[in-house]
Amino acid sequence: MAKLTLDELRRRREQARKSIYLRDGEFRGKVIVHMGTCGIAAGARAIVATFLEELEKSGRTDILVTTSGCAGLCSKEPMATVEMLDSPPVKYVLLTPEKVRRIFAEHILGGVAVAEYALGIGSERAG
Amino acid sequence: MSNGGERREKVGAALVVGGGIGGMQAALDLADAGIKVYLVESKPAIGGVMSQLDKTFPTNDCAMCTMAPRLVAIGRHKDIEVLTLTEVERIEGEPGNFTVTLRRRARFVDENVCTGCGSCVANCPVRFIPQPLDSIPPVKLAPEVQARVDQIIAEHRNRPGPLMPILQSINAVYNYFPEDVLRYVSQQLGIPLTHILRVATFYNAFSIVPRGKYIINVCMGTTCYVRGSERLMERFSDTLKIKPEETTPDMLFTLKAVRCIGCCGLAPAVMIGDTVYGKLTVKEIPGIIKKFQGANGHGQAHTG
Amino acid sequence: MAARRIELMLCTGTGCVAGGAFRIKKVLEEEIARHGLQSEISIVPTGCNGFCGQGPLLVVMPEKIFYGWLKTEDIPFLVQEHFLKGRPVKKLMFTPPERKEPIPLLSDIPFFKKQMLIVLRNKGIIDPEKIDDYIARDGYAALEKVLTSMTPEEVIEEIIKSGLRGRGGAGFPTGIKWKVCRNEPKTPKYVICNCDEGDPGAYMDRSVLESDPHSVIEGQTIAAYAIGASHGYIYVRTEYPLAIKRMQKAIEQAREYGLLGENILGTGFSFDLEIREGSGAFVCGEETSLIHSIEGKSPEPRQRPPFPAQVGIWGCPTVINNVETLATVPVIINRGAEWFSKIGTETSKGTKIFSLVGKINNTGLIEVPMGITLREIIYEIGGGIPGNRKFKAVQTGGPSGGCIPASLIDLPIDYESLTQAGSMMGSGGMIVMDEDTCMVDVAKFFIQFTNDESCGKCTTCRDGSAALLEVLTRITDGEGQEGDIEFLEELAWAIKDASMCGLGTTLPNPVLTTIRYFREEYEAHIREKRCPAKVCKNLIAYWIDPQLCQACLICKRECPAEAIYGEKHIVHVIDQSKCTKCGTCLEVCPPRFGAVKKLSGEPVPPVERGMKVERKKKTATPLQEQSSA
Ligand SMILES: Cc1cc2nc3c(=O)[nH]c(=O)nc-3n(C[C@H](O)[C@H](O)[C@H](O)COP(=O)(O)O)c2cc1C
Ligand code: SF4
Ligand code: SF4
Ligand code: SF4
Ligand code: FES
Ligand code: FES
Repeated sequence: MAKLTLDELRRRREQARKSIYLRDGEFRGKVIVHMGTCGIAAGARAIVATFLEELEKSGRTDILVTTSGCAGLCSKEPMATVEMLDSPPVKYVLLTPEKVRRIFAEHILGGVAVAEYALGIGSERAG
Repeated sequence: MSNGGERREKVGAALVVGGGIGGMQAALDLADAGIKVYLVESKPAIGGVMSQLDKTFPTNDCAMCTMAPRLVAIGRHKDIEVLTLTEVERIEGEPGNFTVTLRRRARFVDENVCTGCGSCVANCPVRFIPQPLDSIPPVKLAPEVQARVDQIIAEHRNRPGPLMPILQSINAVYNYFPEDVLRYVSQQLGIPLTHILRVATFYNAFSIVPRGKYIINVCMGTTCYVRGSERLMERFSDTLKIKPEETTPDMLFTLKAVRCIGCCGLAPAVMIGDTVYGKLTVKEIPGIIKKFQGANGHGQAHTG
Repeated sequence: MAARRIELMLCTGTGCVAGGAFRIKKVLEEEIARHGLQSEISIVPTGCNGFCGQGPLLVVMPEKIFYGWLKTEDIPFLVQEHFLKGRPVKKLMFTPPERKEPIPLLSDIPFFKKQMLIVLRNKGIIDPEKIDDYIARDGYAALEKVLTSMTPEEVIEEIIKSGLRGRGGAGFPTGIKWKVCRNEPKTPKYVICNCDEGDPGAYMDRSVLESDPHSVIEGQTIAAYAIGASHGYIYVRTEYPLAIKRMQKAIEQAREYGLLGENILGTGFSFDLEIREGSGAFVCGEETSLIHSIEGKSPEPRQRPPFPAQVGIWGCPTVINNVETLATVPVIINRGAEWFSKIGTETSKGTKIFSLVGKINNTGLIEVPMGITLREIIYEIGGGIPGNRKFKAVQTGGPSGGCIPASLIDLPIDYESLTQAGSMMGSGGMIVMDEDTCMVDVAKFFIQFTNDESCGKCTTCRDGSAALLEVLTRITDGEGQEGDIEFLEELAWAIKDASMCGLGTTLPNPVLTTIRYFREEYEAHIREKRCPAKVCKNLIAYWIDPQLCQACLICKRECPAEAIYGEKHIVHVIDQSKCTKCGTCLEVCPPRFGAVKKLSGEPVPPVERGMKVERKKKTATPLQEQSSA
């Protein structure tokens, strides 16, 4: 590659920051996909993948996608909990990739929970 | 030598060779015992190396303070004759009666008149007489060895300070320095062999004797030592029947103590080739040796 | 790069690689692929994480969960449980010896808690082979700042103001050194980074080069700008192949980005770097010797002055700095001298890396602010001494340093306090010793080392160390005489006075400090022919306690000298005339029996051969399976 100028170095730094955000970023929100055996059977893997896809498209580096064990509501899998800073966690049930896209746009980016997919607002313990 | 207690005629004089502090003291002791002494010194003056020292060890005495009284005493002693710029050529005879042939070089300066002002030194036009080197025949290496060494030399010769990188590359190929390779390098680079040897023998990672295919580096750094690496070394030594720094006759292993390989967290540590064995116990040693022997169809000599 | 949900920071420092980090990596990759998680999880090979005693290890981001002592067998379970199903695996987490519950988070582990990371700011967070990772964490921002908005004089002023002192041992103020060199009229000038790190037991420089090579390159480039140099060398000892490889790669990447070479970042400033390898000589860490070594001369040190800053490599003004010193520079430039000078003590600013090793629970590299006490380091960070043994001393400063006794545990760690205690900061090795370490033996060890490594130029150093060694060997062999201690002291001072380079003038320190603080141990060796720590071979004997031996036959089988007599049901006895004191029997006797003892300073109690084993009653101890071996 060609040698960098000062501006290019700065731009490169901004870009590179994004690629390591998991290691030292500040997070405003977190998506927890429940990945018990039942969740995986019900398609939780695709849910994770969709969240990651949307995340990448948005270019945001302050949102985390993680997994956790079975939430005990196997009939409602796949499920995910969305926790945004300064607002109560929301548990979404019976997810599909389409639902995920809407949740991502409206709740995570827009800040308004998608009530029709939610199990209950604020009923979930934090983290 | 002597034929049963039979005594021959003895000459009442002694010759001391070398006018350093030892020779000076010997001359004085002999002369004080009533013997005529000839003190021979090849340099223009007696005194030797001590005259250049500031202090002496281990007592820290001043060197000149030790020496000056002896210089004066020798100069004044009626029974000591100082022969400077003189070398011994031939000794004949037997104990008690030697005949010594000396060669005295010309001083070109009248010692009785010279005041030691140093003007002649400052004004001498001849500063440097180069030693001709062309009398040494060029070293011949086997063609494949020469190709290899030439390549190494070509790679580094144009950097400043090429000697170390060249030696390191040669060491990486042979695990030691074959003598003719060093001679060859000396001639190619125009660096005296003595200098190359001085560098080659200074570092722990170099060797001028062949070493085994596997160098067993037992860490003797502080941490490993405190954690018992000396016992590992003994066990390697007992099992392989060689001492540290030695090589097994089959040229498979060289045992070596190293100082910290930077794995102190795993002390005691041993490094063989690129593999590090951490938290090693004496019990595991025979197994490790077997593993390397096995990998080599034991006994196969290393050629190189 | 695609969005991921997990990054696995896998340590690939020398220690963990020796422990099998690359095998772990391979299995991790396979398992991740097996679960089809490649797009969600990435593995980031990092440099040394610091907690080497726990290696091979990995930290799971973003949660920062710490897993240590990994084995390849654990990986399939770990991947399935944690990385797929999100259930962290407790049994692979770190559990301090005195506690039952594991500590999941890296930041909660006491070893990491008290540390303050400046030089090691990127350890375990970046992939050392990726320049972009470094750049992302403000890498080369200091260089940018220096080249665009500071004059060389301002850079030097800033470093002087920060109070940064050399981390290579002597603690010379770095800014002043740069200033002297800048003011020399002769050109060209050079910067050398000293990574010879010969101090056995210290490996922080290796770790910095392995985990964050660009921070050294950046620091060195800033130094070059400050003094007006256009060429530099990094002198790395040959025992560090991984460090050399990573540094080489880093230099190539920096060149490619135009951060080294002609016209850096288009500012008109040019500087390039070259690696030179050492070949295993401790004295080559000394600056003049190092210069000779690069020049291909015989590497003995030379008299100073002139200092290298005046007359250095190829006869030109040269700044030589330690790895850690240079890696600190970018942070000072970025965050300001004022910020830096608030850390540490009055005379010693900033942080220092120590390698905390030896008889300590948590082994590894730590970076702590100057002025921290030994107590905090050993008990809070280090987690105390293993096996409930008593803390006896800590050796700092390597062969140039000394042993600091347990009574000085509240000593604040800075250049001056250590010197006052008779030791030295040195490069930062901290070797903890417990009651099983013999101080005379330790002194002998260091003198053996310096005697080996003395270049031989000065009689005092060459022959003086040999004379010290002879007396120390005599003492540890049980042949010490009255007056030996006084002789050692006298000789030590003569060596200190009359040697030329730092190796000679400091080599008596281990002897002097052990005499100063542990005189009674020397006396026990000399007068009572007893080694209190039971280390010195000539003064100890191995003995099997007939009351405890359960005739399990293990020691007999393992003894290489065939010195043990015994059979089934018969108490084992060591034939003292055959025993070579290798210590194997002590090591192999099962801890539940603990029958082999070391004796010193007392006669070996005679044991009759053929005695029947006294079986312990089953009700007393649950030892059913005894002697079934
Ligand atoms: C025997 C001896 C060994 C030394 N070894 C090292 C070493 O391994 N690494 C190092 O950085 N400095 C070492 N030094 C110190 C160097 O001479 C020099 O002071 C140092 O590199 C300067 O860098 P600094 O000002 O950044 O500390 C050693 C000194 C002596 C006398
Ligand atoms: S003090 Fe020792 S190592 Fe240093 S120059 Fe003298 S002999 Fe060499
Ligand atoms: S110390 Fe070694 S030689 Fe002596 S009895 Fe024990 S195992 Fe045998
Ligand atoms: S190993 Fe211990 S218990 Fe077993 S025979 Fe030897 S001394 Fe006795
Ligand atoms: S002391 Fe052995 S690896 Fe450091
Ligand atoms: S090498 Fe892995 S923690 Fe140090």
